[in-house]
Amino acid sequence: MAERHLRAVRGGDEPSRTAARPEDGASRSARLDALLSLTARGDARAFEDLYDAVSASVLGLALRVVRDRDMAEDIAQEVLVEVWRRASRFDRSQGTARSWILTIAHRRAVDRVRSEQAHSERLRQHGAQHEVDPDRPDHVVDTMHREWESARVRAGLAHLTERQREAIELTFYQGRTHREMAQLLGIPLGTAKARVRDGLIKLRDAWEVES
Amino acid sequence: MNEDVHSLLGPYAVGALDDAEREAFERHLDACADCREDVASFGEVTASLAEAEAVAPPVELRARVMDAAARTPQLPPIVGDLPDAGEAGPRLAPLGRQGHPSALDSQPDASVTPLSRPVRGMADETSDAVDPNQESRPREHARARRSRSLLVAAASVLALAAVGLGWGLSQDDPGDSLAMEREVMMIASAPDAHSMDLDLGSTHIVVSDRMEAFAVMGTSTPMPDKGMEYQLWLVMEDGTKVAGPTFMPGDDGEVMTMMHVDLAGAMAIGVTIEPEGGSAAPTSEVIAEVAL
Repeated sequence: MAERHLRAVRGGDEPSRTAARPEDGASRSARLDALLSLTARGDARAFEDLYDAVSASVLGLALRVVRDRDMAEDIAQEVLVEVWRRASRFDRSQGTARSWILTIAHRRAVDRVRSEQAHSERLRQHGAQHEVDPDRPDHVVDTMHREWESARVRAGLAHLTERQREAIELTFYQGRTHREMAQLLGIPLGTAKARVRDGLIKLRDAWEVES
Repeated sequence: MNEDVHSLLGPYAVGALDDAEREAFERHLDACADCREDVASFGEVTASLAEAEAVAPPVELRARVMDAAARTPQLPPIVGDLPDAGEAGPRLAPLGRQGHPSALDSQPDASVTPLSRPVRGMADETSDAVDPNQESRPREHARARRSRSLLVAAASVLALAAVGLGWGLSQDDPGDSLAMEREVMMIASAPDAHSMDLDLGSTHIVVSDRMEAFAVMGTSTPMPDKGMEYQLWLVMEDGTKVAGPTFMPGDDGEVMTMMHVDLAGAMAIGVTIEPEGGSAAPTSEVIAEVAL
């Protein structure tokens, strides 16, 4: 079973390979859906384009959660190879490609955090580092999208109460379970669950109104 | 109980459940369309939170990923699956298993012999890995095609019928079902295609060494038990079994699936019934098999 051949199947719906203009969130999301579908059919070039479109988000998310540059890069690599491997299992009816990929990334990062040393220890050792790699100038389109997204997220987070922000921070960004969050804050579990959900609903509503 | 599970929605969306809770919630999701909708919309929210954190990766990471991907076989597509089938997304993917968070090779099926659609020269700068011209290959052998058997011609007709009746209904993505249709037609019309009966309803397997692929198509295939799917296996001469795609009959019992695989060294194609999403190795007896 040595050499096998790749055979890509293409429909007429091939996404544009190079985006010459800034994209809005929806068209970017649709492009990722299409690239992931092509990747699922073994299209290596589509996977490269997909890498270019999502690797910064995957790495940044991993870094935000694990707070360690080397570990985050390892996670990003694993996640992106996993995206290649599991691409055929992506089901658009369950959500977008962007959400599918970043959920895989988040889960992998959180798993790492939970299985490694305690948070406090990690923070003591590494602090919150978030430097940008100077090696590689960002693609202009990516940078524009990223800045837009950051501003949008900051604006959305401003809608949350302090407690809701804290709930999102502890769970999504720090990888704690809702039980740990309740314990840490000394609040009932039901309250913890509700704060997370209410925070998500507020963000969703804020971004829906805006778009 | 149900109400309690329902309340896990928020924590689930931000990845704040432990394994047992997540599994419980995912079972709940199968039955709760409202929660599925919320999970999808919250997935967009958390994706935006994630994208705001983007950090440019080092240049080497790209080469490392492409290199690793080139050596990593892709999972076969789940064919003709139900909306909630097996590993449809991260929701049911075995990514969250504690204890082996780091390694791709902790995935149950990562160690299986290469599956369908493996990659060749993916990181190759010449980018010849994807060769659309390969699709026209059978047409270059028109002379040989004339000698193909009536059986295969019949199978092609059956393929058309099955595409018309079964596929369009079960697939959300018309692009995917069209791609499947094309693939199956290519196999069935290959100059060296030969058809064999498979004892699973009225089902044939059409094998083409030249296409390095085989297709399964038929009618009157019984529906497996709830939560189960059919899965194809390539039985190698040394007795190992290479996992193939899973498939489900349509409402009328039509089935169609295919697998791109080098058939050298394979001695049979078998079918087992596996839990939704398929297995890395067979977990039940082979219910139908054809020798190659």
